Amino acid sequence: MAEYDLTKTIIPHCDRHLVFPLLAHLAESDLFPVEQVQTAQYELAKETNMVDYAVSLFEQTHPDEHVPPEFADKREKAVSTNEQLQQEAQAVLDVIENPEVAQSLRQDKNQNLQFLRDHYNVTLEHITALYNFGKFQYSYGNYSGAADYLYHFRVLSTDPDLTISSHWGKLACDILTGKWDVALEELNSLREAIDSRAPSHPQFAAPSSTADPALAQLHSRTWLLHWSLFVYFNHPQGRTLLLETFLSPTYLNTIQTSSPWILRYLATAAVLSRKSASGALSSRVRHSIREIVKVIQMEEYQYQDPVTQFLKELYVDFDFEAAQKELSKAEVVVSNDFFLGDFRDDFMDNARYLISEAYCRIHQRIDIGDLSERLNLSRDEGEKWIVNLIRETRMGADAKIDLEKNVIEIHRPPLPIYQSVIEKTRGLAFRTQALGAAMSRTQQPPGVQDAAQPAVVEAQ
Amino acid sequence: MSRFFRAAGDSDSDSSSSEEEELMSSDDEAPKQAAPAAKPAMSRFLKSAGDSDSDESSDEEESEMSSDEEEQPKPKPKLGRFVHGASSEDESDEDVKRVVKSARDKRLDEMEATGKSMDNALKINDWVAISTEFDKLARMVQRQQNVSEPVPPFYIRTLVNLENSLNVAVAKDKESKKKMNASNARALTAVKQKVKKLLKEFEKEVKRFQEDPEAFEREYQTTVQPEVAPAATKVKKAKKAEEDEDEDFMTVGKGGKAVHYTPESIFKHLQVVQEARGKKNTDRTEQIRILEKLLEVSVTSYQRIRVLLALIASRFDYNSSVATHMSAELWTSAQKEVDQLISIVATDSGYSIQEITEDYDDLAERAPATESDGVVRIRGSVISFVDRLDDEFTKSLQNIDPHGTEYVDRLKDEKELYSTICRAQALYEKTKQEDPLARVIMRRLEHIYSKPDPVVLALEATVATSDLKPSAILSADDKTSSLIHSLCVHLYKSGNSLLRTRAMLSHIYHFALHNDFHTARDMLLMSHLQDSIGNADVATQILYNRTVVQLGLSAFRCGLIKESQATLHEIFATQRVKELLAQGVHQQRYQVLSPEQEKVERQRQLPFHMHINTELLEAAFLVSTMLVEIPVLASIESEEQKRKAISKPFRRLLDFADRQVFTGPPESTRDHIMQASKALQDGEWEKCRDLIQSIKIWSLMPECAAVKEMLAKRIQEEGLRTYLFTYAPHYRTLSLTLLAKTFSLPLRAVTSLVSKMIWSEELQAALDQSAGVVVFNRVELTRTQQLAQTLADKVNALVEQNEKALDQKLGVSSGWGERADGGKGDKRGEQTQERSRRGDRSRGGARGGARGGRGARFAQGLGSQMAGNTQRNR
Repeated sequence: MAEYDLTKTIIPHCDRHLVFPLLAHLAESDLFPVEQVQTAQYELAKETNMVDYAVSLFEQTHPDEHVPPEFADKREKAVSTNEQLQQEAQAVLDVIENPEVAQSLRQDKNQNLQFLRDHYNVTLEHITALYNFGKFQYSYGNYSGAADYLYHFRVLSTDPDLTISSHWGKLACDILTGKWDVALEELNSLREAIDSRAPSHPQFAAPSSTADPALAQLHSRTWLLHWSLFVYFNHPQGRTLLLETFLSPTYLNTIQTSSPWILRYLATAAVLSRKSASGALSSRVRHSIREIVKVIQMEEYQYQDPVTQFLKELYVDFDFEAAQKELSKAEVVVSNDFFLGDFRDDFMDNARYLISEAYCRIHQRIDIGDLSERLNLSRDEGEKWIVNLIRETRMGADAKIDLEKNVIEIHRPPLPIYQSVIEKTRGLAFRTQALGAAMSRTQQPPGVQDAAQPAVVEAQ
Repeated sequence: MSRFFRAAGDSDSDSSSSEEEELMSSDDEAPKQAAPAAKPAMSRFLKSAGDSDSDESSDEEESEMSSDEEEQPKPKPKLGRFVHGASSEDESDEDVKRVVKSARDKRLDEMEATGKSMDNALKINDWVAISTEFDKLARMVQRQQNVSEPVPPFYIRTLVNLENSLNVAVAKDKESKKKMNASNARALTAVKQKVKKLLKEFEKEVKRFQEDPEAFEREYQTTVQPEVAPAATKVKKAKKAEEDEDEDFMTVGKGGKAVHYTPESIFKHLQVVQEARGKKNTDRTEQIRILEKLLEVSVTSYQRIRVLLALIASRFDYNSSVATHMSAELWTSAQKEVDQLISIVATDSGYSIQEITEDYDDLAERAPATESDGVVRIRGSVISFVDRLDDEFTKSLQNIDPHGTEYVDRLKDEKELYSTICRAQALYEKTKQEDPLARVIMRRLEHIYSKPDPVVLALEATVATSDLKPSAILSADDKTSSLIHSLCVHLYKSGNSLLRTRAMLSHIYHFALHNDFHTARDMLLMSHLQDSIGNADVATQILYNRTVVQLGLSAFRCGLIKESQATLHEIFATQRVKELLAQGVHQQRYQVLSPEQEKVERQRQLPFHMHINTELLEAAFLVSTMLVEIPVLASIESEEQKRKAISKPFRRLLDFADRQVFTGPPESTRDHIMQASKALQDGEWEKCRDLIQSIKIWSLMPECAAVKEMLAKRIQEEGLRTYLFTYAPHYRTLSLTLLAKTFSLPLRAVTSLVSKMIWSEELQAALDQSAGVVVFNRVELTRTQQLAQTLADKVNALVEQNEKALDQKLGVSSGWGERADGGKGDKRGEQTQERSRRGDRSRGGARGGARGGRGARFAQGLGSQMAGNTQRNR
């Protein structure tokens, strides 16, 4: 199943330190030879300041060789740099951690800077020292410390590039320390920061230089997508949030353009969040599967794996047998995946639900044995499963099991017409309101908009 | 020397070798110098006398007037001529006798040699050689006549002999037409005509010769002697005329002497030529000839570059404004000279040709050593020559009848042109001039983007053999797409947005041509070109239209019927396909184009070999529309809904076919498709398939067998869907196996199709697994219910429209004038309906929200710029 492993595709979009858990996972699963993974881990650690870890990895891979001497040098250097940077940063930290100062700090960053300079003689360089120290700490694996420093830095700094960079750093720290709530917050603020740096829209007539910010934005979004996988698949609310984020048009475009393999996670998240779908959720999540199937279909030429194929067979081709086959393949893929591994049982459960739901909607009379087979269950288990299904889902009233003939009979009365009309017109008022709001937000003179209106009506 | 005689009458342009020979000979003989100065005048004289449309004299007068006024250039040459004329007079008086004699003997010898080689060529039936030799001979004789010597009997004899052998050859040729190759045959006819003409000219002599060859020869011998004196007197007369000659002629006199002159005089001549350029009564042929001569005598690279620059320019000038395009010969020589120019500049880095240089003295010789930074900069522009060459090539293709052999012959020159372009690219790569480099790469790209692989390979093969190679060339085992890719990437990086756009479109076109529909589509959407194409120039809009159409065709070939229909729909809705693709001028019904408009339109037309076959296009469009539309037609019941047709043109055709009382066997492509549609409606998928597959035009599509197979499969599926839609009301249950048998589809496919229809609520039914049947549960709607539903739909559509209108207002803030119109276009885009959702408003990412609405602005592409009658057409 190694051909479906995405680790290799994902790694280029992750920070060096974020790759460690990925590789550790690979070492546990036996998709690749252990030696290869170990070598990779060593290569990875060599370039960081985590000297001890690198040395231990070296000893693991080369049991009968001596540790190269440069590690000792590096270690010394790292320690000395650490001390130096710490001294620089400590000065600022002392000031900031002073409760008086903390109270007098305001929203306005410039004002804060002025205040600090006037009263405590803290300049921009000092603040940058915070950043440097935080970064260095991160590089030798002290993530929580780094997170602290970067947080403080961000509060004070005005440099936009460094601020973004510290955002990334903080996010990585939070991910690596496993503080998912904090990480989620961080993720959202970073996302806002990226989105708000709206590049000028590359126009056909515009000179080439303006194309670059758009490209940079695309890059950061791609990175964000990958990093957010860590958060979304560990946070309890993660899957629905993932759907919300990834299905927003900008990120959907990013997925389609630069990283179609994310579709696997999107598809899995959609399957996983099926159960909660009955709750009150945004329409985007409720219709997520339909949306995703469309995207999968569109991007099929670029990317496909058992998970996406499963959805495609089920909802595009309605080929239940093929879907069943893909599902059994997908099970292996999911269990081997770093992010999805924990959700295997959930995934299988939900996928079965999806199959049977689709099956029941299309059929009027179903042989229980056949359905059990479709679900990869034994006959008795299948029956139990089906009963549960009928009880849990909305079709409870329509479906009856006829044990004598061993079939399920489903009588679904056609949807009353008034209901479909209500369904169709639902939300129109809201949408119109949103339109109005959007219109008033633009600073165009009202006359222009009025002129646009009749033209639209005409178009009807 | 011989040049002047050619000016007097001869039209052909080759045989520079004989010229050279002549020059050599005149070098040898010092006394001969006497003649040249005088003779040109005479020849000129003779010509103007013989000319039937002689406005010459008046011209001369005019030019005299003007030359009097024009103080500056005149005095020097005039003086020179005067002095020269005087000396020549003296000389000719004294030496003329001896001179003429020896010269004549020499000429006679030469003639005999030529005659001999003609005889040799006759033996091996090589008419090309005969033709050139004969031309040479005719020229010599003409010269002979100009010095007022009688025509030598040898010539007459040759003429008569030649006529005889010609008759034999023609007769032989008739028997075995196949054997002779094309160029030989052409030469043969040329010789035949020439001989005929000459025979008429020398009718008298020939008759005399035929009566008594020996007497004729004797007569010649006697006449030769007394002729000498009159020749001398004529020289005198000619001198007088010379004084009255126009400026044009003066250059001739000097050019003739250019043989052994210092480089300085080359520049002087050049200057004179350049001054005469563009004047009304300048003889362009003459100028070209002078420049050719100058080129031969020029020694240094600098001189050659200067002369070449002037020569190429005057070749392009040669055409009068009346002619539609440059003649092929002229073009070929211009092309050769551009090649020459490029290789001079490319091999010698001490010279560079630039459009903007500091002022320098036109008359001084320059060399890298004397320049301050070691580089001689010369004013001129290679890129403009290349551009012009390419444009002239296109123009000639536009004007030649595409169904004749001439067109094919002309098309063969593309190879040469392509290699010239590549050489220019190599040059600019070497000199690192970004702007012209981008332009020349664009030219190159335009030659290959729309061509299939073998053609590109053939073009590239010539490049590989040339001495100057650009950075990107195609080796035999490479793929063309890699070449196109590297060219395009270079252009993407260039600063010129127009070139970027065009490169992008060409790239997309190339992908589409190679059936890489997805990549092509993604590129087109990512480029956001559909938003801004309305602001582009017409040529780019045409390219855009071509690209979109090719994209549609590629979708069709890939079996993506829906996509193909949506893409092609836009352009067919305008009903001006040919015009939009620049493949023909549209006949306007209500307005007449002014001649200027028509001319402009004609200039835009693509040469025939680049056309996309519109009939094939229409077939693809109609078939895909049929496959999309017929099931939809079957599924809707109320008249209300019926009005919302997906494709109006198709619906119109179908209605028309319905009204037909009697339908005969199908003839045109349209007939085929219409009858197939009706068969499909009736559920006779086999008939439909046969009809569609018997359309002849498919053979023009690459991989036509695969396409036909794909179509057959689609027809089965759509036939099943149509059948279900049409007959569902009449059944309670329907066995799946029966359906599978009727449409000869596997049971699994049928189940899947039916399931899909049930799932998407197109069909109100359910499957009964144990019995293997479809159970229909249909509900009849009351009128009120129907109306309520329609109303809900409409309100929905209204809100969607409003959102879209707002989208466009907020989304793109460019100067796109017809917002509301664009919305209208979008509405039809079927894809948009699928993916309209609100969020699309924020168009941030590279792909933007506009994944739907593909090609929605299509019709506006040309519509907004052309006559502006798009509105009416909608």
